[in-house]
Amino acid sequence: MNAHDAGSAGGTPPARSPEYRVAHLQDRLASGELGELGVRIEVRGGAVLVTGTVPSAQCREEVLGSVREELVGLEVHCDIMVSDTSSPDHAEELS
Amino acid sequence: MIRIAAVGDIHMAPETRGALRPAFETLPECADLLLLAGDLTRHGTPEEARVVADEIRGLGVPVVAVLGNHDHHDDRPDEVTALLRDAGAHVLEGEGTVVDTGGARIGVAGTKGFGGGFVGGSAGEFGEPVMKEFVRHSRRCADGLRTSLERLEGEGCDVRIALTHYSPVPETLAGEPLEIYPFLGSYLLAEAIDTAGADLAVHGHAHAGTEHGMTTGGVRVRNVAQPVIGRAFHVYHLPAPERVSAGAGARAATG
Repeated sequence: MNAHDAGSAGGTPPARSPEYRVAHLQDRLASGELGELGVRIEVRGGAVLVTGTVPSAQCREEVLGSVREELVGLEVHCDIMVSDTSSPDHAEELS
Repeated sequence: MIRIAAVGDIHMAPETRGALRPAFETLPECADLLLLAGDLTRHGTPEEARVVADEIRGLGVPVVAVLGNHDHHDDRPDEVTALLRDAGAHVLEGEGTVVDTGGARIGVAGTKGFGGGFVGGSAGEFGEPVMKEFVRHSRRCADGLRTSLERLEGEGCDVRIALTHYSPVPETLAGEPLEIYPFLGSYLLAEAIDTAGADLAVHGHAHAGTEHGMTTGGVRVRNVAQPVIGRAFHVYHLPAPERVSAGAGARAATG
């Protein structure tokens, strides 16, 4: 047996581990067409949590599409919000 | 009273065209100028910059901006800058501008800034060329901020504001993973601000951070990344010298 072949020894093949898949997804979101660095993806127990705020509903759908593609077979909880573009209702006094 | 509106990380693209304009049109009622703290586009393309330009054109208050890392992604920061300037914005990188409004002179010194980390966990100018260049770039940005703040002091400004994209302090990063702090800001920016002096420091970049912080020297820091403030912009009121009276009409000159 090859000493480096941990996958065939019964563990999760390294390339399929949730941690690496999440890292690849994060890289795809940042470096790919989306250019999205504001989404946080964390492995929590047996599931993956995706959080953050994006500038538009279209961007949110694009992020979710990439998440679904990259994390097929994993339980994913998404909580991505769209930026609020309303005017502020108060100012901060800096005395 | 001097009224500063600020927002960063609006990440505009064709699909968000017009999204901020209704809120921005209320600015003359509540602010003397608008600061844009970088990451105005998603990828830094001229097409996206034109969306930002249309969003801020003819607002009725002066607009002062710095670029962010997203605005550099397409390797055309000069084109992005030119488009924003064509729309009337003062886009700063290692320079300052003075906005005259109702008798108050508001000085804004701006730089994108860069990473490197904070005291006790910062990168050094050592090793591979790319690592040395990383730290040198951060240092150049901080030096530009310091010299522009110092220059503004000689121009009789009533208040001076440091505008950056990257953070000068770790406090406003609270909520972000600790592991990425060195990519979110640099103590060199805070050192520049404390050395030259400022009344307020405004930055963006850290979407999961928090709004309030302070430099070691006691300068208030505000993270105005749009996901942090949860609004189109936030407004900060600074005390003005007594000779200042409220008034409409403002003009700015790049210094």
